[in-house]
Amino acid sequence: MIKFSNIFKSFSPANEVLQNISFEINSGELIFVTGSSGAGKSTLIKLISALEKPTSGEIIFEDQNLSDLSNIDMPYLRRKFGMIFQDHKLLFDRNCFENVALPLSINDTTSVDINRRVRAALNKVGLLDKEKVMPITLSGGEQQRLAIARAIVSRPSILIADEPTGNLDKKYADDIMNIFYSFQQVGVTVIISSHEAPQSPIKFKELHLINGELGNKDVPLLS
Amino acid sequence: MIAVIGITLCLPATGFLLVKNASQLSSKIEYDAQISVFLSKDISDDQIEFIGSTLKQSNLVKNLHFEPKLKAWEKLQTKLKLNSLDAGISENPLPDAFFVTLNSLDTAVIESLHDDIQNLEGVNEVIIDSGWIKKLRSILYLIKVALFVLATLLAIVLIVVIGNTIRLQTLTYQNEIELSRLIGATDSFIQRPFIYTGIFYGLGGSLVNAGLLTVIIEIFNRIAYKFEHILGGSIVLYNLSLNEYLLLAALSMIIGLFASYYAASQSLKKIKKNF
Ligand SMILES: Nc1ncnc2c1ncn2[C@@H]1O[C@H](COP(=O)(O)OP(=O)(O)O)[C@@H](O)[C@H]1O
Ligand SMILES: [Mg+2]
Repeated sequence: MIKFSNIFKSFSPANEVLQNISFEINSGELIFVTGSSGAGKSTLIKLISALEKPTSGEIIFEDQNLSDLSNIDMPYLRRKFGMIFQDHKLLFDRNCFENVALPLSINDTTSVDINRRVRAALNKVGLLDKEKVMPITLSGGEQQRLAIARAIVSRPSILIADEPTGNLDKKYADDIMNIFYSFQQVGVTVIISSHEAPQSPIKFKELHLINGELGNKDVPLLS
Repeated sequence: MIAVIGITLCLPATGFLLVKNASQLSSKIEYDAQISVFLSKDISDDQIEFIGSTLKQSNLVKNLHFEPKLKAWEKLQTKLKLNSLDAGISENPLPDAFFVTLNSLDTAVIESLHDDIQNLEGVNEVIIDSGWIKKLRSILYLIKVALFVLATLLAIVLIVVIGNTIRLQTLTYQNEIELSRLIGATDSFIQRPFIYTGIFYGLGGSLVNAGLLTVIIEIFNRIAYKFEHILGGSIVLYNLSLNEYLLLAALSMIIGLFASYYAASQSLKKIKKNF
């Protein structure tokens, strides 16, 4: 479904952030992008979700070469991904309901549908009782769950999360991970970046980055 | 914001209002253009009659008055209190003349009539006398041009003011714009609310302007009414017509649209550079 071939990415000529990355992700897989800080995890996540373009190499998404896509097509491609950003990017001047509703307003969902789907998404992450609450008053774990609700509200087939448990206590982190696992169980492709691969009860594939290169750890085999 | 736009619009609008009223007034003034047609000295009576009937046939001619040279001479003599002998002038120096009152003030029409008459045989000279009304007209025209320039300048001011306000608003919504882009909003979706705001500013400003103008006119008319006996007649300012207000509203909405579109797309470009 997603295929990277010999991808290079640099922000300045002297500094190659990603070098010669090749891998393939199949529909429904659970993927961990691991590596230490600065290894290039966020950059790889952005390339997968079409927020950045590679300097060279080829990305095929659903049989489409992304370099063939025009800037006008990009927004429609991005809507296929449910994104959870490293800094969650919640809007602190909007309540929880409005935060989760944002992706739906972007693709012209009717207001009846918006109500129904936002509540369903909030329910899935256990925040249904907080819909009128401002996100600033939520705990770190709750904010992360709110970000997940926003990512899943438009029912994407691919969920991408950049260090979703980065600064959470173990108990909260496990909660969050279990939410992701449950989505993978119902057929969603889940791509998560984190320092190291967790003790997962589910089979997953690991893309381990070392200084911008894929390490030889289990790649591209399922572990 | 809307008040600022309204006041800005009000300046040229008041100017146009005054000019419009002045030109309406000037066309109402009972004043007719006149043409004096001086004939050749050695003209025959037949020719005079022919010229007279030709002039009479023209539908531009309201009134025709023939003054024979003898009568003109007598008039002049009584006026100057002298007689031909005293002056030592034995021969009448004046020509026969037609004095024509026209029912048009249109310069172009009068010019062409002037040429036509000039070409008649026996006509020596044709003098147009449309006097001060013409001058007033050209002054009004000049003022109109000046107002147009002023309006253009103020339109630029409005574009800058609205554009700047919208730009500040995009800054307030920067996080939301950025996030929307990341999760797949199209540029036009992101710009739309800002453009609506710009158009709304234009519309609101033109409404404020309409209100201000109406108040100004009302105040002016009341004052003018009080001074009616001094001015020797009432001067009434008429408001702009509905069509003119609609045009003004359309123009200011276009200005709002243009300014906000420009501001929003500039901000978007800047945000795009961030990733
Ligand atoms: N927009 C950018 N411009 C310049 N350098 C960048 C940019 N984004 C990331 N980098 C650089 O790329 C390297 C990898 O960053 P990142 O992908 O965020 O790593 P990670 O998420 O694994 O911590 C870092 O050295 C970082 O400085
Ligand atoms: Mg990162």
